Amino acid sequence: MTAVKLIAREEWRMLARNRSGLIATGLLVLLILVAGFTSLESRSAIEADRTRYQTSVDETFDAQPDRHPHRMVHYGQFLFRPIAPLAFFDAGVNSFTGNTIFLEGHRQNSANFAEARQSSLLLRFGQLTPAFILQTLAPLLLIFLAFASVAREKERATLKLLLAQGIGGRSLIAGKMLGHGAIALAVGLPAFALLLGFAATGAANWATVGVMIIAYACWLLLWAFASVIISALVARPRDALAILMGLWMITIILLPRALPEAASAQNQLATKIETEIALHRDLLEIGDSHDPDDPYFNDFRDEVLDRYGVRTVEELPVQYAGLVAIEGERLTTQIYADAAQRQAAREREQNAFVHTFSVLSPLIAIRQLSMTLAGSDPAAHQDFLDQSEAFRYEFVQRLNRMQAELLPGIGGEDPRISAAYWQEVPRFSYSPFNPLADGTRITWPLLVLAGWLAALCVLALFAARRIGGVAR
Amino acid sequence: MTNIFTAPAIAIDGLHHSYGANPVLRGLDLTVQRGEIYALLGGNGAGKSTTLSALLGFLRPGSGSVRVCGTDPVADARAARSQMAYVPENVSLYEHLTARENIGYFLALAKAERGDDAIEAALSAVGLTQAAWDKRLSGFSKGMRQKVAIALALARDVPVLLLDEPTSGLDPRAVLEFNRLLDAAREREVAVLMVTHDLVSAVDIADRIGFLSEGKIEEEQTASTAGPRFDLNALHDRYTLVAGAPA
Repeated sequence: MTAVKLIAREEWRMLARNRSGLIATGLLVLLILVAGFTSLESRSAIEADRTRYQTSVDETFDAQPDRHPHRMVHYGQFLFRPIAPLAFFDAGVNSFTGNTIFLEGHRQNSANFAEARQSSLLLRFGQLTPAFILQTLAPLLLIFLAFASVAREKERATLKLLLAQGIGGRSLIAGKMLGHGAIALAVGLPAFALLLGFAATGAANWATVGVMIIAYACWLLLWAFASVIISALVARPRDALAILMGLWMITIILLPRALPEAASAQNQLATKIETEIALHRDLLEIGDSHDPDDPYFNDFRDEVLDRYGVRTVEELPVQYAGLVAIEGERLTTQIYADAAQRQAAREREQNAFVHTFSVLSPLIAIRQLSMTLAGSDPAAHQDFLDQSEAFRYEFVQRLNRMQAELLPGIGGEDPRISAAYWQEVPRFSYSPFNPLADGTRITWPLLVLAGWLAALCVLALFAARRIGGVAR
Repeated sequence: MTNIFTAPAIAIDGLHHSYGANPVLRGLDLTVQRGEIYALLGGNGAGKSTTLSALLGFLRPGSGSVRVCGTDPVADARAARSQMAYVPENVSLYEHLTARENIGYFLALAKAERGDDAIEAALSAVGLTQAAWDKRLSGFSKGMRQKVAIALALARDVPVLLLDEPTSGLDPRAVLEFNRLLDAAREREVAVLMVTHDLVSAVDIADRIGFLSEGKIEEEQTASTAGPRFDLNALHDRYTLVAGAPA
């Protein structure tokens, strides 16, 4: 057996005989499993509720009596966002964005302008999921297990005896890294098994699960290697512990909070109220269809009369108010869409700022990667909002067309169309978001993690060269 | 080219070494032949441990040369260390391992795996009771740990033994047993360089005793083949002068 494997095996034997280390490792593994199963349970419950509520609101919509179509426009529809299969592993922004949306005419769903979408949500501690434990708590365990790995050999003078057996500094550091790297992967194993189980049942695709496992393996190795290398660079275990705890606090607690705040300060988003006011102002500028002197709607009326070859709205074969509703919806939707695009652009700038500096805090990289692959990141939420907005527009315009086309044949003071028509109104069908469709979203975080690992390997070579000198 | 079988086991020639601006070794010359036990005595800071570090290849000398069985430990530390076994002053083996496991682990690292019989023979030779062989070192006294380290050095079965204060922590009976082991090593043509403050033990076992002062051998005495091996009184006076304290 090579010296590297011997040293690695010795680290495992030491852990196996270290009661506190074993208990801490066992507790973390247990926590991962508990978090995994409770998240799965919670996801199943939410999915069951979602299906039940969606069926219920669809049935209630269909059961509406004969009505004026415009009343149905404001009766609206509730949509319940399906939770991505891997969101049990990383709930991402789901906890803050929610998964229920009410759609009605004249306005986009309010979630588009919710403050919860600001980049600062990247900094929040989420619920107890396997991702949270692997991202935040597992590094602490790995530090606890490895901070003394080399420094202890120096402090207790076993380092000199080790080197006197003819092993080199590289073998020593490589052996310690192999030992603690394997422990780190073993810590992540229950989480990886859960992910593989999901892929095996077909609930998640293998590629996504594969990238997720590679990303978390890199993350865990990063902390195991950093702990060993820092331990090799300092004289005493307590110095290594102090430095590693500082690193943990800066990269996991401080930077992931400070960077989004800096991004928000640099590129401030409008609050929901400010957005609402601006939208209201824009809407007023379009014109008022009830004002007989409104230039825009007068032009619109003339264009409609020309198109149908009649002189008055009363002569139209369709209801003019229905056509105004269609045009009004088109205009307001455009205003909301423009505002949403502007807001999305600013959010992208904020996130780009944060992700650029994720070089300093690999937690940002792993968190982004994890949320993306789990389908619980802001992009997946935005995809749902985009699909729901497209659906809302079709839904409202369908009812507006019913108003325009069906009401003239009915007449009366309170014209209503048959309830049978409600069943012709389309239902929302969500196309699942593919996190791997845009590879650029996962490339940068993967590069950051790979860069950290590469930098640590270079630092390990430096530490290995110093080992002989330290033994003196 | 030096023949490793005919070259002196330890050959130090004009060795200089400084820690920063502080010179520790100033032209040290020292040779230990196979089958010879050399006791190096000196006061604190005289350069005894630095000499061992130079032999182990842990430091790069300012000038001069160091050879272990003809090999330069700086140029080829691995080859030089494969010829040496080293017992440090403050023995600290792995507390979570048993005596047997400690020896097995270090032997494996040195690529000098021995069977259980050889390990047990070494443990037995240093006087460690059989009941202690499979107990973890966390419950061992300093003397018992010292015995395990010496057993490791013996089990390595190499031509050179470097011992840093080997009798420190041993009771008088254990010192006698230890001296018997060194005697046996000498019989096997092993060269022993022993850094020690223990003049009595050195007188009992060494073939030559050197006094290290101000970075070089100040005086050297060779054991007489007839009559008393050394003039203990003269050595004591010399040691008191060199070390600045009674032996």
